[in-house]
Amino acid sequence: MKVSGTRDFDAAPQAVWDVLNDPSELAGLLPGVEHFEIQDERNWTATVKVPLGLGGLKLKFSFEKTEEQPIERAELSANGKGIGAVISMDTAFDLAPNGDGTSMDWAADVRVLGQIGAMGQRVLQPIVNQQVEQVLAALDERVQARAAG
Amino acid sequence: MSTTATEKVTLERGRYQGESVPRKEDRRLLEGQGSFVDDIRRHAMGYVHFVRSPYAHASILSIDVGPALELEGVFGTLTGGEVAIATDPFFQIASPPGAHVKDYALAVGKVRYAGEPVVAVVAATRELARDAADVVEVDYEPLPVLVDARAARNDDAPVLHDDAGGNLSWEGVYEWGDLDQAFAEADRVVKIDELHFDRFNSTPLECDGALVEYDRGTEQWTIHSNNQFPGFAAIMMGPAMRVGLDRLRFVSQDIGGGFGNKITSHPQLVALCLLARKLKRPVQWTEWRTDFHQSMSHGNERWFHDVEVAVKADGTLLGFRCKALDDAGAFLRYEPLGGVIWAQVTPGLYRWQHVKVEFTQVMTNKAPVSPNRGYSRMQHLWLTERIIDIVASQLELDPVEIRKLNYIKTDEMPYTTPNGCVYDSGDYGRCLDIALELVGADTVDARRRDAEARGKLLGLGIGSTLDSGTNNFAQSRFINPELQFSGNNEVATVKLDIFGEVVVTLGTTPQGQGHETTAAQVVADTIGCTHEMVTVRAGHDSYWNSHAGFSGTYASQFAVTGLSAVKGAADQLADQMRRLAAVVLGTTPDGIVLAGGMATRADNPDAALPFMALGAIINANNAGLPPETEDITLNARYVYRPPFDVPDIEKKYGNLTLTYSTQIHACVVEIDRETGEVEIVDYAAVDDCGTRIHPQIVEGQVHGATAHAIGAALWETFHYDDDGQLLTANFYDYHVPHALDMPPIKTGSIESPSPFTPLGTKGMGEGGGGGIHCVCSAIQDALAGAGGAVVTDSHNPAERVWKMLQDPEASRAVVHVAST
Repeated sequence: MKVSGTRDFDAAPQAVWDVLNDPSELAGLLPGVEHFEIQDERNWTATVKVPLGLGGLKLKFSFEKTEEQPIERAELSANGKGIGAVISMDTAFDLAPNGDGTSMDWAADVRVLGQIGAMGQRVLQPIVNQQVEQVLAALDERVQARAAG
Repeated sequence: MSTTATEKVTLERGRYQGESVPRKEDRRLLEGQGSFVDDIRRHAMGYVHFVRSPYAHASILSIDVGPALELEGVFGTLTGGEVAIATDPFFQIASPPGAHVKDYALAVGKVRYAGEPVVAVVAATRELARDAADVVEVDYEPLPVLVDARAARNDDAPVLHDDAGGNLSWEGVYEWGDLDQAFAEADRVVKIDELHFDRFNSTPLECDGALVEYDRGTEQWTIHSNNQFPGFAAIMMGPAMRVGLDRLRFVSQDIGGGFGNKITSHPQLVALCLLARKLKRPVQWTEWRTDFHQSMSHGNERWFHDVEVAVKADGTLLGFRCKALDDAGAFLRYEPLGGVIWAQVTPGLYRWQHVKVEFTQVMTNKAPVSPNRGYSRMQHLWLTERIIDIVASQLELDPVEIRKLNYIKTDEMPYTTPNGCVYDSGDYGRCLDIALELVGADTVDARRRDAEARGKLLGLGIGSTLDSGTNNFAQSRFINPELQFSGNNEVATVKLDIFGEVVVTLGTTPQGQGHETTAAQVVADTIGCTHEMVTVRAGHDSYWNSHAGFSGTYASQFAVTGLSAVKGAADQLADQMRRLAAVVLGTTPDGIVLAGGMATRADNPDAALPFMALGAIINANNAGLPPETEDITLNARYVYRPPFDVPDIEKKYGNLTLTYSTQIHACVVEIDRETGEVEIVDYAAVDDCGTRIHPQIVEGQVHGATAHAIGAALWETFHYDDDGQLLTANFYDYHVPHALDMPPIKTGSIESPSPFTPLGTKGMGEGGGGGIHCVCSAIQDALAGAGGAVVTDSHNPAERVWKMLQDPEASRAVVHVAST
């Protein structure tokens, strides 16, 4: 499923960029992260527990930064495996100055395979939307913190 | 609900045939005493759960079952690697290239659809087996996915089976008559660029399952399953497992619906057989609903391209030609038989003399297809019905009149179709009249105006179908001339036991069709007793000696093959009973009357023997019987073989099925202009299946088939995303109509007995296609008043209807009319 949107930040593009490109910051953005490990500057792994209905789905994710145009654009791919589910995700972030702040166009293509995928988009779409909202809220918080020094 | 009176029956019947006597099966089923496969338990048995592929197409890089085996209570596992050593690939029906497909019980080296079984895990409980399956580690390398059959033969299409050299499973050209002449004579040629018959199945309440035991002493497997065609399963499994067929004993009692979907469970059954032998314990498997949807038995999805219809100005249909593209899914479990089965009803109900179909079947990364209620004929009959309505709308002809003009007439029966099939009997026009009367077709104009005032669009639709029953399996040679199948058969035994019990065994595998009841009716009428006196053993056991190569319950044939076998065996028993009574009572066999459970001298009613006496004499008191009684066993076995010849394989010409039931459905729908939601406000199903042994059972099947059809027309679809993930893998997303969704159904019937069958019966129960056709027809009729969209898909949920309302031009653009 494809999700996209625009988010405005009260901070310069550099501050947003710094958060998005710092793996340790990124780890703090993702909800349900239980373990995060940096392999190198382009590759990370994480164990994430995704809330799903009455229980949680634990997934091992590997992340790769696939494109980087400093303070303008980044692309990231992630592949996660868990019991009964495989998730792959391609995301892109485009940053542009917006007055004193930054406007970020973002897009993600999330593919859920296996039994969980078979639950259908009607069930998964709200979950993905909720996760994205949490990520963006956390990002806003981290950007504000970094901008404040 | 209402029922019209049955028209005059032309054949003599006995006392019970034609009566809706209480069903023998119902007591145990209503009291919860049925025995379904999941009810069967064995000491120390293990529960099986399959690890399934999350990918639609991927190479298997490695499998680690270690984490599962470490769990306490896990008995063992089975992988594709083990299967490839212990078995050979399943026999393929197809000629090349499909013949080169290698299909095993579990994935070997590669997965080809999401949900494909990769590993089987056995544990002490069902829950533990499921948990253990979750910790089996399978490493995949994803491959590009093919979902759209129309792209299967593109140069850049991913190839599912490298051994087959591409995604083509089978292709063939069917051509009968003289198409050039037909199109030269035509006043109009109607062209339709593309029609699509959607993927769904007639979902049974009970999923697949089995309990398998292996006897290490005799090296025999007992397979308690709900497979509905054990004869077919055996010929698939035996060679693959490198064992003789008598080593595979198939047993079933009550089955919770089949509809063809339970024919192709042989891969899972092989896996269970291997596990039972490997683990030295019985193993039990009950499929979960999502697993069923993901991996079992979808109906054939089919595209029709470049449809051209030759028509006279008055609506006389001369011929048509088209290209059919069938999507078989990932494996050919019963396919490519769908590539010929449709030809049983080549002209539909119409007098088309010139027909050409270029048939192509391809494989895609979706669940394998299998027979599904109305198998392959439903798709083709949908095509013919769509043609009729589209031609009618384009030439501004009345859909009723164009049907009546072109229907094959009663006085033309038996009617030989352009491809050599013989329609045995029927009165299509009469059935249509009854259906139209039941839905109040004469009031439609007034109801249309009333609906319009309420913001609704109202339409009347007709669906005409044939249910061809009792296959001539020689038609498989159209697909593969090397196959050594032809004809058909079914077996029954009827015996009179020591205390006068009349006991019947069948070769069939009933799934709710009431075989015990109808068999008892036929036996009772034949040997002269009450149907209560007849015990029909419940279910199927291939060790009962009432089993032949085509035994099973499928393809609308019990009323012909099953009951003819019963009739034949009962006739033999009656003959022996007369001969024995004649010896005892001192007369000739012709002088004995069998009635009321007694064998009586016709000329002296006081000279009589109860059936119990006859049974006792042969079974326990036979000293001194004269030599002419030597062959009397009071235990008759009869194999019914329908009168078939081998068709002309080269010309694809000959009789492919023995009987043709008629179903004419009509409905009235209302469409909400704002949402596109379709409501069926009136519905009628008229059935003519020849002599009806038990009218209530027939009507029950008509109701069920109609529900399946309405579901397929409006709600049920197997929808895949671009990654090959099934998005409707549960009953939340795959909506099967329940009672509140169903409109009141009015039923009608006539009886046109088949001249070709011993009882005048015809196979029935698959007329569900009629519902799809008439709903499509009614939607198109309703949309005529709102832009005139053309219905080009068999599945029309609200969003598709809404799109047709918003952009009728888009669908109209696929239809063209040329004058010649």
